[in-house]
This record gives sequence, structure tokens and C-alpha cells, in this order.
Amino acid sequence: MGKRLVCRVVEIPENGLKECELEGGLKLVVANSGGEFFGFQAICPHQEVPLCEGLFDGSVLTCHMHLWQWDVRTGAPLGIAEAPLQRYPVTVEGDSLYLGGDDSALGMGELFNGLDQSILEKLAALARRESHEAGAVLYRPGDQAEDFFVLESGRVEFLIGRGERTAPGGFMLKKGEVFGWAALLDGYPARIASARCLEESALLRINGKAALRVLEGDPAAGLTVMRRLAALIARYLASSGAK
Amino acid sequence: MRIQVNARNQGFEFDARAREPVLYAGLRAGIELPYECATGTCGTCKAKLISGRLHDGWREAPGRKHVKPEQREFLMCQCAAEGEAMLEVSKFVYAMEPGACTPDACPGIVRAPRRLAHDVMAFGVELEQPCDFDAGQFVLLAPAALPGYRAYSMCNFERGGRQLDFVAKRKPGGGFSEWLFGADREGERLDTFGPLGKATFDPALAKNLLCIAGGSGIAGMMSILSRAARERYFDRYRGWVFFGVRMLRDAFFLGELSAFRAQGLEITVALSDEDVPASARSEWPQLGFARGLVHEVARRTMAGKYHDMRAYVAGPPPAVDAAIRMLLLEARLTTDNIRYDKFS
Repeated sequence: MGKRLVCRVVEIPENGLKECELEGGLKLVVANSGGEFFGFQAICPHQEVPLCEGLFDGSVLTCHMHLWQWDVRTGAPLGIAEAPLQRYPVTVEGDSLYLGGDDSALGMGELFNGLDQSILEKLAALARRESHEAGAVLYRPGDQAEDFFVLESGRVEFLIGRGERTAPGGFMLKKGEVFGWAALLDGYPARIASARCLEESALLRINGKAALRVLEGDPAAGLTVMRRLAALIARYLASSGAK
Repeated sequence: MRIQVNARNQGFEFDARAREPVLYAGLRAGIELPYECATGTCGTCKAKLISGRLHDGWREAPGRKHVKPEQREFLMCQCAAEGEAMLEVSKFVYAMEPGACTPDACPGIVRAPRRLAHDVMAFGVELEQPCDFDAGQFVLLAPAALPGYRAYSMCNFERGGRQLDFVAKRKPGGGFSEWLFGADREGERLDTFGPLGKATFDPALAKNLLCIAGGSGIAGMMSILSRAARERYFDRYRGWVFFGVRMLRDAFFLGELSAFRAQGLEITVALSDEDVPASARSEWPQLGFARGLVHEVARRTMAGKYHDMRAYVAGPPPAVDAAIRMLLLEARLTTDNIRYDKFS
């Protein structure tokens, strides 16, 4: 998609927030962090609260309703927040801000967002885009866990167990969410759940070992991804008090 | 009735009683379904019906503005399943921690209603069964004569006790408060559901405490202070209380607060609408008094003292929002150290 006008630079005060509606109806909240601009989904991922009403100190954005917080440089959740913000890269040209650049599921997703463009390009080169009908099964328990997936659109649900004794294991619905992450771990060669598309879904399929080789080439990026992966897994394993 | 809830991270199954809202059934089963007010106002307990039928107990609930009925969304605190049902909650949901006070329904009787100030009443509820709750929690109350539950914070702290103490502020047109103020309600029966709420205090916290309360928001603070005082918490940690009211005649619990002074707590009553009367300091020598909105009075007193602090904030939404803004942006407390209860 080509670049789209967001707003004029002067409309967002230093260390301020503004909600902008783009042509086509997309709404963003844009943060001015000491003259650098960061665009995000306009509505808190928790409840339907406009983030432009939140608190912003120049580096941390806080939703005023339940105090979820994010680092505006990455959209990563801080404190008690349970989900990242979807990022929309904005660039300054002349006196205006434009939305453009990388808004792929890979680049905005929770595991890889904010990584160096060269790393993202290498990962993108590994990714195969797949479309699946509602009801399609992506993998079953016992299948080899070679690839992980990044959700582009649609909805994927998980079932733990086999046959009669299955239990729901959650679901994915946000662009950029990563699943099948056993492919990024040593010692987990097989799937322990099944993954099924609940509606027509588009995915990026990436070989886990190949992705790890890319990350080994940039240990700082690799550490970032592993820290986020650890947080992600903890979120699924956590009990309420530990999250 | 068997209910299945699919959350972002896993699924849960539990049984609901006839006409029991899904939220209460799930909480009773030890599942931390999302909620905040639990009484139809905030919209936090929004869910989506996948299969089955629901009975909506309150179609005019203010929280309904947060749901999209055409997408089969509903409020779990108001809707009961009619038979087996499957729901989806787009949040991470966990089982309660072992040892948590699991809420349940319990009948009770109103005890000793009495005026504390011109528009504030204290009352007790004697429960049929003993119950455990954490300091800072609330319960839902439903007198037989009124439809639906109202949320009230306990002001006492007891383990395995059968007496819950509350304060209620008179609100013109408020169903429960008009009922309570309208006649002597001693001995009247009511239903309760609880305990609820996560703005709780446990002495294992091991931090200094800052309590900022507007009006009847002081109720939950009294429970927290009782719990802390019982363990002589303030021998090891500092504590500050800011209690905001419009005028001195609106204040209550000043005797109880004065008693906490002996444990080392610093307590300030903030008067927003009048200068501090000369009589205040002579009548309540253990307490401080200041003119101003409660968060402003707290800001003046607390500057530079936020080291190792947990803050509790309760009261009407504007007071709570202003205090939270001050605590986050000026005091630089982290969000996990700000616990709040917004009356809505």
C-alpha cells in the first residue's frame, strides 16, 4: 500500500498525542516523543478506550482507564499491560506525517517489531504466505514442529489433547501474533496441540531453524526476540498472580 | 448448567445455577473471568456467545453501551445461560491462585444501621456462613425489595468472620441508598455475592503505604488500615492517608482514623469547599487538615517521599483519575503499585 497522509507535524505537540483518521477510515494515535513520531492503533487493545485520552510522558504511553502501558519506541507492553500495541510506521516528509513503510504482520508483530530492517528483510525472505479456508487444520499433536506462524488475518484456535479428550487451548486473532513457537525451541520436536482456522485466515509460515540462524547473525536482535518469546510463553503458562 | 468459556490462552468449564449470571458462576468456580464493577456498569466482563441461549437480567444496564449485540456480545455479570452454553472471552484468563478468597452467594441480615454524617450511613451485614475476604475487597448486596446487586466495600477486616461492615453515602435516586436511608432496616434480609475486587492489601507487600480516598472511598482504606494495624505493619513501614471531603461536616471515621495515628500513620483530611475550621484541629488533634482537592493536598505533602511506595486510591472517578495522573506522571510510581477503585 502506498503512503498515506496522517496529519501535519505541528498538530502534535512535543510529548503529546493525537488521534488521526486517515483516508479509508483507519484511525491511529500518533505520539511525538521529543520530535520523533510513532503511530499505533488508536484504541486500547484491552477495552474500547481511545488511547489519545491516555497519559504520555514522552516515552511511555498509559491508557487512563486501566493503566496499561507501552514503550512508544516499540509498542511493547510494560507493567500490567497484557498485549502489545499494533505499530504503524510513520515518516516525516516536509511539514507532514505519512503512514508507509513496513506494516507487514512480521514487522508489527509482538516478536519481531522494532528489529533492524535488515533482520526483518531476512526473516521476510524465509516467510511463505499461505491462505487457509475456515476449518483447515494447520497441525495436529505429534506433527513435527518445524515451522512457526505469524497471523496476518483471520482467526486460529488451538485444541490440546487428542480424540474425545480435547480441551480448548486458546485462540489467535491479532495481526502479528505468533504461534507454533515450539519450532523456535530446542527439545520440542513435536506439536502438543492442534491448530485450526476458525475463519478464512492468512498466515506467514517460517522455518524455525532458519529463523534462528538469521537471529544468530545479530545476537542483540536474537536476545530481544528470545526475551519476548520467553514473556509470551510465560503469559500462556502463568497463573493469575504470576503474570 | 454446563458453561464453557474459551479465553485467549485456554478454555474453562464450570457449572452455573439456574438464573445465575455467567460471571458469578465462573468466579465461584475459581476462574478469574474479567470484571471490574460486576454490576452492569463498566463493560469489563464483555463476552461473546458462541452457542446456547442467554437470559439478560438487565437490558438497560449502562455497561451495554460497550457491547455489540449483533455480534452476540453480552455482559457476563447480567446474563445467565438457559442450558448449556459456550462463550468466548477475548482476554487472557487464569485460574485463581490457591488460597484466594473464592466468592460465593450468601444470604445475610442488615445489622445496626446508623448515621455517621448527614448523608453517610454505616451498617453491618451478618452472613449466614462465615466468609474470608482480603483487605480492600467489596461485596455485592441485593435487598429482597430491590432488583439487582450494588457493590459496597468492606470497612472491616476479619478472617472467617460473619460480620461485614459498610458505609453508604446517600445518593438522590440511588436505589440502595434511598432504601437504606428511607427507614430503619435493622433485621432486613438481603442476598450477598462476594468477596470481589483486586485492590487488595496483604502485609507481605512490605512497602510504604499511601491511601488517597474521596468520600466513601475511605471504606476500603479502613479495611486495609485495620489489616495493617493488626499486624503492626507501621512499625516497619510508613503510612499516609489522605481523606477528601467537601466540608468538615461531610467527614466521618475521624475517631477511627485518630486511633491509627498511634501506630505512626500520618492522616490528613482534605476539605475541598471550605477553609479548615478553627475547631477541627482542637477537636481532632491527631489529624492534619488542609484546604484543597485530595490529590492536590497529597501532592503538596508527599513530594519526595515516594520511595518504595504502594498507593491505594478510591472514590468518585474524577478524584481517582486526578490522583492516578499525579502518581504516574509526577510521583513516577509504576502501575503495579497503584491500586484503585473507581465508583461508577
